[in-house]
Amino acid sequence: MSASATPAVRALQAALDAEHAAVYGYGAVGAHLTGARQKAAVRYWVAHQMARDTLAAMITALGAQPVAAAAAYQLPFPVHDEQAAVMLAALLEDRVAAAYLGLVALSDARLRMFGARALQSAALRAASWRGQSLAFPGLEVPAPGPVPAGSGPASPTAGGGSPTPTGPAGG
Amino acid sequence: MRQEATRRGVLAAAVSLPLLAAGCKGVGALGNPPPPLPDVAVVRDAIAGETLMISRYNAVLAAVPALAGSLHPLLLQHREHLARLRARLVDARASSPPGHQVTASPAVAHVPGTPAAARAYLRHAEQAAAAALLGKLTATPPSLAQLLASIAASEATHALLLGPGRQTV
Repeated sequence: MSASATPAVRALQAALDAEHAAVYGYGAVGAHLTGARQKAAVRYWVAHQMARDTLAAMITALGAQPVAAAAAYQLPFPVHDEQAAVMLAALLEDRVAAAYLGLVALSDARLRMFGARALQSAALRAASWRGQSLAFPGLEVPAPGPVPAGSGPASPTAGGGSPTPTGPAGG
Repeated sequence: MRQEATRRGVLAAAVSLPLLAAGCKGVGALGNPPPPLPDVAVVRDAIAGETLMISRYNAVLAAVPALAGSLHPLLLQHREHLARLRARLVDARASSPPGHQVTASPAVAHVPGTPAAARAYLRHAEQAAAAALLGKLTATPPSLAQLLASIAASEATHALLLGPGRQTV
């Protein structure tokens, strides 16, 4: 079996693909936010870049070629104002969470825990944008909808950090 | 009767793992039920954890009714967690007739009486519950691990929303 065909590599590539889309999407998100929300968007954008690099290193360590980012991504809906930007940010996190859940199904215990922690980080960021939690983050990706007025990561601790940049690849 | 209940529990839990040996040979082993699988115990633990969490929310809501608006959405999600876990364990002792959502409701001795302290109490309970679920991930079948990881993530977001900077959850 070639390295690209192993379940671990497939799941890591799916997560990497979601992180590429999040990095792209947060560019659109940040452009329409101000103040604390914009700062949060920048912080989360950096977190997704770090997660992307971690995943690429993990895939390389498994002997496969990391998937490349697309030149551009089709946004699921037009983003012209703050409300749409926050909605997009929550959706990006939902999709990242779903991708990391794929890692939790692997037999490798380290990859499972890595996926579960990254899922949690994405769910925390999604909840900080939405001001609401989901019953089953990653398992169910809700349709994009309006977020409550005034929600969004206002406190500097909201979001609970990022997917850990030191994945099993180095260990 | 007791054996039958145990067997049904084991078979129901094995549904999520169609190729699991114990599930496949169940029909031919009627007189000799296999021992409970480790993941049955994990599901039962998780059910007990969710039931306790629901009891905590109910106790806090009884003590501090002013928190109803902010806590009710979180309580509803715990009930969803419990229902999803119970669906994995169709067992006479774990399932309950409609209208009796919480069977063996554990007693919660004392909860704080002020809103801030009550929220902190639930926040710590959510954090501990999420950590406990993560600790069970590695020895479970894939789909159960995914469910536990998702519930753990949900509980971590509950803790976030119960944080001191989020008085209007």
